[in-house]
Amino acid sequence: MLYREAGQFKTSYAADQAIFPILQDRWVFWGFMIVAFVVPPLTGSQYFMGPILTQLLVFGLAALGLNLLTGYAGQISLGTGGFMAVGAYACYNFALRMPELPLFVDFILGGICAAFVGVLFGLPSLRIKGFYLAVATLAAQFFLTWIFDHVGWFTNYDPAGVASAPARTLLGSWATEAGPLSFLAPINILVTGPNASPETKYLVTLAMVVVLALLAKNLVRSSTGRAWMAIRDMDIAAEIIGIRPLRTKLLAFAVSSFYCGVAGALYVFTYLGNADTEAFDLVRSFQILFMVIIGGLGSILGSFLGAAFIVLLPVVLNITASTLGEGTLPSDTLSNLELIIFGGAIIFFLIVEPRGFARLWQIGKEKLRLWPFPH
Amino acid sequence: MGEQSIKDRITFHESLETMEVDFSRMTFATKEEIDAFYDEVDRRLAVSKRRWYFLVNYVDCVINPEVWSQFAERGKKANVSHGLGTVRIGAAAETRDTIRKRARTERFRANLYENRDEALFALSEMRKRRQVAGTDADSAYLSVEGINLHFGGITALQNVGFGVQRGEIFSIIGPNGAGKTSMLNVISGFYRPTSGQIVFEGKDRTQLPTHAVARLGFARTFQNIALFRGMTTLDNVMTGRLLKMNSNFLLDALYWGPAKREEIKHREYVEEIIDFLEIQAIRKTPVGRLPYGLQKRVELGRALAMDPKVLLLDEPMAGMNLEEKEDMARFVLDVNEEWGTTMVLIEHDMGVVMDISTQVVVLDHGEKIAEGTPDEVRTDPVVIRAYLGEG
Amino acid sequence: MWDPVFFLETLIGGLLSGVMYSLVALGFVLIFKASGVFNFAQGAMVLFAALTFVLLLEVGGDFWDWTAWLSLGFAVVAGGLFLLDRYPSLIKSDVLTPRRLAVAAAAIAVILLPLLLDGGKNMWRGVFITMLIFLVLTVGVRQPRAAAAVLLGVALVSFFAGEINFWRSLALTLLVMIVLAMAIENVVLRPLVNQEPIILFMATIGLNFVIEGMAQGVWDADVHALDIGIEDVPFEIGGVYISQFDIFAAVTAGLLVAGLAVFFSRTRVGRALRAVADDHQAAMSVGIPLENIWAIVWAAAGIVALFAGMLWGSKLGVQFSLALLAFKALPVLILGGFTSVPGAIVGGLIVGAMEKVFEVFVGIPYLGGGTESWSPYMLAMVFLLFRPQGLFGEKIIERV
Repeated sequence: MLYREAGQFKTSYAADQAIFPILQDRWVFWGFMIVAFVVPPLTGSQYFMGPILTQLLVFGLAALGLNLLTGYAGQISLGTGGFMAVGAYACYNFALRMPELPLFVDFILGGICAAFVGVLFGLPSLRIKGFYLAVATLAAQFFLTWIFDHVGWFTNYDPAGVASAPARTLLGSWATEAGPLSFLAPINILVTGPNASPETKYLVTLAMVVVLALLAKNLVRSSTGRAWMAIRDMDIAAEIIGIRPLRTKLLAFAVSSFYCGVAGALYVFTYLGNADTEAFDLVRSFQILFMVIIGGLGSILGSFLGAAFIVLLPVVLNITASTLGEGTLPSDTLSNLELIIFGGAIIFFLIVEPRGFARLWQIGKEKLRLWPFPH
Repeated sequence: MGEQSIKDRITFHESLETMEVDFSRMTFATKEEIDAFYDEVDRRLAVSKRRWYFLVNYVDCVINPEVWSQFAERGKKANVSHGLGTVRIGAAAETRDTIRKRARTERFRANLYENRDEALFALSEMRKRRQVAGTDADSAYLSVEGINLHFGGITALQNVGFGVQRGEIFSIIGPNGAGKTSMLNVISGFYRPTSGQIVFEGKDRTQLPTHAVARLGFARTFQNIALFRGMTTLDNVMTGRLLKMNSNFLLDALYWGPAKREEIKHREYVEEIIDFLEIQAIRKTPVGRLPYGLQKRVELGRALAMDPKVLLLDEPMAGMNLEEKEDMARFVLDVNEEWGTTMVLIEHDMGVVMDISTQVVVLDHGEKIAEGTPDEVRTDPVVIRAYLGEG
Repeated sequence: MWDPVFFLETLIGGLLSGVMYSLVALGFVLIFKASGVFNFAQGAMVLFAALTFVLLLEVGGDFWDWTAWLSLGFAVVAGGLFLLDRYPSLIKSDVLTPRRLAVAAAAIAVILLPLLLDGGKNMWRGVFITMLIFLVLTVGVRQPRAAAAVLLGVALVSFFAGEINFWRSLALTLLVMIVLAMAIENVVLRPLVNQEPIILFMATIGLNFVIEGMAQGVWDADVHALDIGIEDVPFEIGGVYISQFDIFAAVTAGLLVAGLAVFFSRTRVGRALRAVADDHQAAMSVGIPLENIWAIVWAAAGIVALFAGMLWGSKLGVQFSLALLAFKALPVLILGGFTSVPGAIVGGLIVGAMEKVFEVFVGIPYLGGGTESWSPYMLAMVFLLFRPQGLFGEKIIERV
């Protein structure tokens, strides 16, 4: 079946406004979903599911969060790491202190806490724009990580300041054999902690990410998304058509921080297992911003493509370097080389396609639409 | 039929020159029911032997879509024989849409209002307009009084005042740097005047922030196009509907139930505007790629989607060729006629201004130097001097 | 326990280190003013400059062994470029275009130089240096005359320099910074003309990684002591001890700022700079060569980075943490305004004083210390809420 929209007639506005109006896109989406849910657990490779896929999904989610703020609402933020940390530590404390709560509720609550903090640090966005705002958001980054380092309560007074994800089940302690909701026990699987299987962690992460990504897709194509894009493209005109700038921007900060917060929580609970604030430092914020830029500003799919690029590039570099330069390269030279190539790749990519993978994907689709008759 | 007799539903307010027709909580399912009502209306009108304004209350009134055309036909007949103008109250969304649609095809003014107060106010304005010819700042629909605007030491506007009547096309002209755009910015709430007042529908709105002014029913287009360049034509026009949409972001995220229904309802409205402006073909093109003339048209579409009471147009024809200018002039006139939208217009092309406007005010160096009908302004020696210089 | 002398000492210490922050911030301001690029790599440039300077000093005689060769090679290439620029007709055929020649030369250099330079002792350092040379050559293809001049300068300095000393090292580092600026202009900025500011910003973050990697790859990641000949002896005025070094740093910063202010407002280049900052296209349309202006500005920023690197390096030791100074400069920038040279100075003073006083009197006693990481940002954020245009920015009148 060729990739065509010709001949696919839509008779209602509802059909025209579906997420994937083109039939082939729907097929690809569902095919991809099936592969994503079925294939990795079958491989059984812990490395593949953990450091590669789970990490990719988590960072993709964070990048999606930042993309909502930067790509859709046009507000640059360098505080992503800070907001992820809020989500992670809030989720940790909910899970630790209220084991009755289902784990996915912990994730959501972590996200909501991050959303509140995000709104707080988004307040200056009313008055300041662009790079001034970007630098101001660094306040969130530095202040939040400092507070998690200095206030012991957040890490349950762990002497090393490390938050270790406790062993928790998907539906919480009430849904165990002994609890009041014991009928749910059979499906109440262990998700976190040392005994949880990598498959479960991966699948839970994947499910969260898929649901949140679809919600985000809906959000950006509805009135909320249009208000964000209006503010991004021309804030003066947006205000003149009646959009309230502060409310719209703060909503963007809230939703974006929610996504980052959930990503932070997932990062600790389903990938790292335990973390201190170094997992959420400034480098992380930049990393996420890179994913957004390289993936494509204002694209949901792009966020994940960007995440894939940033997560996989070091892996590829590592493999290449260790096969080529085993023994001849001292490790510090290798890490410097990696820095240079990473930075160089980013510059190269920005020069070649400043609008990111999402744009390449779009161009590819447009070409495919005409193929095999290019004119 | 309802618990009230038809007789009681028709009342005459002599002092307001108004006949009030109360359709509230009524159901018109068949042609007979419609005829029964309108026969009574016609009889009473015939007895009165004069023309009236009609105030029609549609609260909770249900009209069977199949008999809509009969219903409208009878209404139109009554209006032609005895009407001065009609205002409508509290129509449900579907009724409202149908009326609007008919208003557009049949070329009458929809005049739909939320409540009785608004409608009565509009009615009194209509009466005033009929009684008083010429401008009178106190009674104007939109009145601008003694506006001063300073930026630091620079005076952009100095004691400018004028009144805009409902439904008119009001032009602001003047040489470059006269303060026309500043004036429009003050009206649209983008600049807050240093002193002076802006009164709209009898209420002072000088201190309102920009977005609240939009809520009052002001829409505008810009001299240098201010479209959302990253979005498609359709999305741009849809942003104009944002104020009329009630869904919140949680429903939006689910895109389910009310959010979806609302989205589609507004899409239909927007499609009508797209049809009206003849921009169907570029519906899904990002506006950044469109040529200048089309961008201007999309911008007008976005403003129209706001369903404004007052439309502010900042040089809508600047930089266009003759053909595009004619198109645009036609759109402006059509909008004014079909929706009855009040227009405030800045334009350099004197031909266009003189052709389409009902009132003209002339600014020079931030001051008002003349005001009047196009013919009065055209021959005013002060205006000629401002444009052509001394001697 | 209020001790006014202690407070005054803290305050003055803060103010003086604030001046040093301004020095880093100044590099940002220069580039932002002239090109609208928010150059995140300024911190890395400080590190790079300081490392180059200190290691040229340290390597000394060792360096001499191969600079002779290097300079000879440079001189030949530079001469060739000069000739090509002067007599393009020297090469008539379509096959041997200057571009191809340069690329071929670069390729040969890539293969030969590492072996030539260190005799295989430290091959990778050679590779890094070769990459630098390659950058220079790519510059050379587009701006042969400028590149040739710089190369010739390097060649002359290193050939006649003899033993490396403080001043020769300074001169060489200056030249290296200029080359770096030209390379950045050519490789990174030129292909990105007319892109969105955020794209340029991202590119400078990438650049930041590259420069950091190169700085540590060409040299190393150890801490190097740097002595610039100023004793850090405190002297006393009315019971308050003030660091002599800090005063020296403050005076240097002041001189640099004064010089830059004159440069911006009085010279032809300065006027061109302001035009470019206002509007790229308009500036190009009146015949201002965008590329040259950018190269000049980046070179100026590189020189400022060198001074900042030397001062900070002699205070903290030359090491990786110099790159992190950028984060001290950012709140200074938003306080002072991205485009204001005096703003950078005043902002630096405020930030320096505030963070010291806050840390000493609030942070350490009550909050467990470490507040310096965020207090300047909080200050800047709150400040911006009340004055969005910064200290010295003009109130923006928005027009539609």
